[in-house]
Amino acid sequence: MRMANDATPVRSEFADDPDMAGIIALFVSELPSRIAAMQSALSTNDFAQLRVLAHQLKGAAGGYGFPKLGEAAAMVDRGIGEGCDHNVIRSRLGMLAAFAARIRA
Amino acid sequence: MTALPTSLPKVLAIDDSELIHRLLRVRLQYEQIELHGAVEAREGLRMAKTLLPDVILLDIEMDGMDGFEVLQALKADLDLQDIPVIFISATASMEDRVRALDLGAIDFVAKPFEVVELKARVRSALRVQHLVKMLAQKAQVDGLTGLWNRTYFDRRLGQEFAEERRHPRGLSLVMCDVDGFKRLNDECGHPFGDLVLERLSKILQSGRTSDIACRYGGEEFGIILPNTAGDEAIEVAERYRTAFEQETWPAAPGRVITASFGIADLSSLAGAQGPEDLVAAADAALYRAKVNGRNRIECTPSHRPAH
Repeated sequence: MRMANDATPVRSEFADDPDMAGIIALFVSELPSRIAAMQSALSTNDFAQLRVLAHQLKGAAGGYGFPKLGEAAAMVDRGIGEGCDHNVIRSRLGMLAAFAARIRA
Repeated sequence: MTALPTSLPKVLAIDDSELIHRLLRVRLQYEQIELHGAVEAREGLRMAKTLLPDVILLDIEMDGMDGFEVLQALKADLDLQDIPVIFISATASMEDRVRALDLGAIDFVAKPFEVVELKARVRSALRVQHLVKMLAQKAQVDGLTGLWNRTYFDRRLGQEFAEERRHPRGLSLVMCDVDGFKRLNDECGHPFGDLVLERLSKILQSGRTSDIACRYGGEEFGIILPNTAGDEAIEVAERYRTAFEQETWPAAPGRVITASFGIADLSSLAGAQGPEDLVAAADAALYRAKVNGRNRIECTPSHRPAH
């Protein structure tokens, strides 16, 4: 028996809603570049930009049927807001990126 | 004239995230609304000014100008201050919610939003806005005649006067007073007097759509004629005068009810400082019409006696 592991695909809670199919597919296809933009902001210590991106993802992900993705983004957003150090932010962004990698349309 | 617009209510969403706009477009697509979006606060304010939306959905956290500042700008603008604003925010701290409501927001929705809840809150805000508009309009409409009332007349004449000063295209004012109205009331009773005012008002409302007919007070009407000067204003007044004269009154057979008219044409009123000068000039002409025999039209300046 295979245990669920970190590679288990995550699908949208609204995957069965035909009205949502188009924008969910777009959301998923753009997600890697959003994550890349956040990693790039972190690498240049641009926390303001990282926070804007994390905040937008936090507010929108749930609406696309990915609430856990929103929670992971909220951890990054909150970490910056609370002045956590670079390592903590990097670790949280790593968790966000790992979760995002499992997302499928 | 007193009907509210029948077009779909407009909802303007101001949010810096394209992700949210896409979501709103899909989630609100079956609502009976026209959805507009702005991804930047200042663009949102500009759009609000031109669209005059019925509801605004406003994000709090935006770069440059945040939602609170947008809300304050909206509330400081006479044209926009009555538009209900629903805050949509992913932060949703209690302090933010209280601050938003204190600044005049009507409601608050947390992101990520539940679709059913969002729709219900938008509908609720639209209902409020419908009532606000209706009240605002009721406050400007005369109860007996359905014409615009004196409050509206003063405000509108001020606007038209200012507009004419900026872009002169002609502006005339007709003041009109029912002849012998007191005697009419005494002889036929006040209900008949009311009926006369209602019927004459219907005639005034059936004129050109650009004519702005108002009940100035008692049996006196003020008709603002934008884009109208000289002989054209006289022709307009003459049509009303004739229609009044020809109206038949089954409740008072054989009775002819007339009115006297005074016209002021701003283009020939040198030295008019404000709308009150236009009213005074039209009133002076109306007085001459009364003195010169009633059921007639006089102009200020009196370049051409009519009828």
